[in-house]
Amino acid sequence: MDFANLAAQLNAGTILPEGIVIITLLTVLLGDLIAGRAASRWTPYFAIGGLLSAIVALYFQWNNPTPNGFLGGFNADDLSIVFRGIVALSASVTLLLSVRYVEQSGTPLGEFIVILLTATLGGMFLSGADELVMVFVSLETLSIASYLLTGYMKRDPRSNEAALKYLLIGAASSAIFLYGVSLLYGLSGGETRLSQITTNLLANNANESIGVVIALVFVIAGIAFKIAAVPFHQWTPDVYEGSPTPVVAFLSVGSKAAGFALAIRLLVNAFPMVSEQWHFVMTALALLSMVLGNVVALAQGSMKRMLAYSSIGQAGFVMIGLIIGTDAGYASMVFYLMVYLFMNLGGFACVILFTLRTGTDEITEYSGLYQKDPLLTLCLSICLLSLGGIPPLAGFFGKIYLFWAGWQAGAYWLVLIGLLTSVVSIYYYIRVVKMMVVKEPEEMSEAVKNYPAISWTAFGMRPLQVGLIVCLVATSLAGILSNPLFNLANNSVTGTPLLQSSVIQPARPVMLQSSKTLDEASVLEAHL
Amino acid sequence: MIADQFPWLTAIILLPLVASLIIPALPDKDGKSVRWFALGVGFADFALMCYAFWKHYDASSATFQLVEKYAWIPQLGLNWSVSVDGLSAPLVLLAGLVTTLAMFAAWRVDRRPKLFYALMLVLYAAQIGVFVAQDILLLFIMWEVELIPVYLLVCIWGGQKRRYAATKFLLYTAASSIFILVAGLAMAFYGTSSGSPFTFDMAELALKQFPIGLEVLLYAGLLIAFGVKLAIFPMHTWLPDAHGEASAPVSMILAGVLLKMGGYGLIRLNLELLPNAHVYFAPILAILGVVNIIYGALSSFGQTNMKRRLAYSSISHMGFVLLGIASFTDVGVSGALLQMLSHGLIASVLFFLAGVTYDRTHTMAMNEMGGIGQAMPKVFALFTMGAMASLALPGMSGFVGEISVFVGLATSDAYSTPFQVVTVFLAAVGLILTPIYLLSMLRQVFYGDSAVCDMASSGKPSQSDEAVCFGTNCVLPSEAIFNDASPREIFIAASFLALIVGIGFYPKLATQMYDAKTVAVNAQVRQSYVEISQSNPQLYAKGLAFPRIAEVESASLLGVVK
Repeated sequence: MDFANLAAQLNAGTILPEGIVIITLLTVLLGDLIAGRAASRWTPYFAIGGLLSAIVALYFQWNNPTPNGFLGGFNADDLSIVFRGIVALSASVTLLLSVRYVEQSGTPLGEFIVILLTATLGGMFLSGADELVMVFVSLETLSIASYLLTGYMKRDPRSNEAALKYLLIGAASSAIFLYGVSLLYGLSGGETRLSQITTNLLANNANESIGVVIALVFVIAGIAFKIAAVPFHQWTPDVYEGSPTPVVAFLSVGSKAAGFALAIRLLVNAFPMVSEQWHFVMTALALLSMVLGNVVALAQGSMKRMLAYSSIGQAGFVMIGLIIGTDAGYASMVFYLMVYLFMNLGGFACVILFTLRTGTDEITEYSGLYQKDPLLTLCLSICLLSLGGIPPLAGFFGKIYLFWAGWQAGAYWLVLIGLLTSVVSIYYYIRVVKMMVVKEPEEMSEAVKNYPAISWTAFGMRPLQVGLIVCLVATSLAGILSNPLFNLANNSVTGTPLLQSSVIQPARPVMLQSSKTLDEASVLEAHL
Repeated sequence: MIADQFPWLTAIILLPLVASLIIPALPDKDGKSVRWFALGVGFADFALMCYAFWKHYDASSATFQLVEKYAWIPQLGLNWSVSVDGLSAPLVLLAGLVTTLAMFAAWRVDRRPKLFYALMLVLYAAQIGVFVAQDILLLFIMWEVELIPVYLLVCIWGGQKRRYAATKFLLYTAASSIFILVAGLAMAFYGTSSGSPFTFDMAELALKQFPIGLEVLLYAGLLIAFGVKLAIFPMHTWLPDAHGEASAPVSMILAGVLLKMGGYGLIRLNLELLPNAHVYFAPILAILGVVNIIYGALSSFGQTNMKRRLAYSSISHMGFVLLGIASFTDVGVSGALLQMLSHGLIASVLFFLAGVTYDRTHTMAMNEMGGIGQAMPKVFALFTMGAMASLALPGMSGFVGEISVFVGLATSDAYSTPFQVVTVFLAAVGLILTPIYLLSMLRQVFYGDSAVCDMASSGKPSQSDEAVCFGTNCVLPSEAIFNDASPREIFIAASFLALIVGIGFYPKLATQMYDAKTVAVNAQVRQSYVEISQSNPQLYAKGLAFPRIAEVESASLLGVVK
């Protein structure tokens, strides 16, 4: 193999965006090492700049004619570009939100940025990973960096507790995932490339083997842990409550998006033979997540716990798109994740700001905030209402696209449950809005009564303000002017060969194509 | 119309919406200029719609007019497609009038005026959007947009139990509106595999033929969605709470316009798109209508709170709308629409006057009032006129609407005579109950010994001393000052009453706007009725025991249908 051939096989240009992130990461690390605390003046902005230029680089990779890199280890197709973009964007918004938070907690900022960028790197690689080893390595990069971030407030016992819980459960789920992957490896006769696994399984006559199903179950357990689907969600509330809030923001958006990218790639690519089984399992997970996430969120007293359960419910909605597996289904997933990024990060931005000013995140402490801080109230209200799916905010259009696609594919029951649970979700979102807007001045909580004067001058407040405004604007306008986003989501799906081949594939689970409505219709007709 | 390209309806919807976005930027501390601004926008919008309909609306045509259609999100098939026809034009005008006057009625709101007027303007736009949307998905969006403003308006500027009432309203409406979306999706996707177009457009959906079983399911779903809004009997429980707890201007809009969204939806979607299912459901609607009339009237009589009494009277009056819709006659359907318009005006003026009274007495409990008529003769006179209109005194619009419904139902050849006799008789009983509760309310509030006036001198403690302020100045009932209606209040009430009397004496004022449309709707429904009853003459006799159809002479029926 001569050099030119090798270079073509490696196709290293596919990971240019990740390269930019790595260089940014190293620069921040070195800068922090050399300049010490003084470096925190420029490192966050530099890191954000790096992430944004990675997004620009991603833009130029759109519709890459030769997406495969590293001998098939990495696939830079349009779908991965969208997901890598989501991960990078969520990390850059998270950075905006975290400067002040980390500064105020008295922990060093440089390391935080470095670890966050590492997690981003893991997420980005995971979105494009097309080979089992690559999948696992990037998954672990993301996970280990996440454990570190979770425990970053090292003097806070709750942060430590969260990190320990996350580490133990995460390590267990990684082990389970790895076991599933190794089964797959063995059954396919030592094949690691996802796109080849099916062929090899068929060649080895292993497609009938129970081993494939076991591998599937283990792999799904690993993925479901990452996207916090019920019943693999138990870590979420505790980790979300104890971790530093900006980290939670990243976990709930960036890390989840990477998890969904992995789910699409792995399930569609490697498990077409057990398609019925994985659709069945995922349907169950989606239903459980929607119901449990939204119902349990009703009873939460802490804002972060409520957002944790809400994010479980939201993951359930997104899974509808994965399950139906049509063009519109995948596109609606991508679209929902894009708007979810802004509305959820906007919500967390408000929680961070409120915590910074008052030191609490109890929902009841938000009483009467409207009088003291109209901007924060407006932003949090808009983001929460958008999460609840109230038009004309972005979240409404995201949900309607998911339900639209679901109905188109005949997944009537999933859509109905989704609709019902989103009504439930309106209740707990509006409860917070009610606390802030409706309460009279005399019902104001202690925290709000002692609310400090609003000032954006302290170090790190400006980025927070920028993040807040960006999320607010995006959440309010991304719905009404959503055409570009819709086009982006649709093109990313139609431009991805992997999904195009799977979309045509007819095997769809029987239980989803519920023809119940029509059955009932004919029964009624006969009766009448 | 086509030559005139100005997007009238879009302008009418967007004007209040844009104005509401400007409000936070207005330099205003005490809310004095905000209210002028909001009132000006409301009035300008009302004038705009009057002008647009005057110039460009052809009442003799039953088709969609002033049509505008822009692709909004083509990936979803969602179009910004708005239009008016005979069904929506009068309701758009009603929404404009009631909302504008409600903002004028809210003159004394001094708590968070900016938020109040901004929400009112958003609500204004959403109501009109519901009535003019020609795309089901757009209708659903507008339907949901209206939720949050109403929720906050009730929740912040309401009575003592306002939070409970607002949450109840929100959950009922949000949960039931699921059915609009589901029905819309089902209709839009129906038959797309066999080549029929995918569309949310109502005009195109009307051309689709659904199997009867699916149609029945869709009809049932939509009946729940619109039934909650229209407060049909088992789904009405949110209404007394919401209407009773909201402040007077919000109650005016709730009773005057939002209730009509339910009736509008029933005619627009259930009758126009699903006429075959309507044939099966009509007797149920008629029965529910009778139940509404009687149940509403009896419950109303049992209320001691003035606003709750008015709220239950709304439930009672909405029964007539259902009866008219179920009648299968031109007169009946036209009467249903007229009843909606007339109730919109009457309920608004009554809730407004209840608010005016409350501003003086600071209590809603009727047993604490009495003898106010002496202190406030003008309010008394206006209130009496409103009550008379509500109890369908001839010469007022309420009479015309109800008599049309009665005539329509009585002359309907779709039902058997016993069924007609029973429904008409029971509805007439409701008509007798109406004066009983309205007159007894008048007597308790305005006649009698002046309990409240005495209270001021004797300083007797009242039960509701924890005054409910409805967002205006807080005065305890015992410190109330009884001055008569101000010119502003007389103007608002007089505007409503003039229209009520005008329609009462010359119903064509209203009916000419929509007659062509209601006749067309009814013709379509009758068409389905004839088709179904020909293939299945024992139609009603099988499912339900008593609404037995007389043996249908299809020849004479076809003569009516032409």
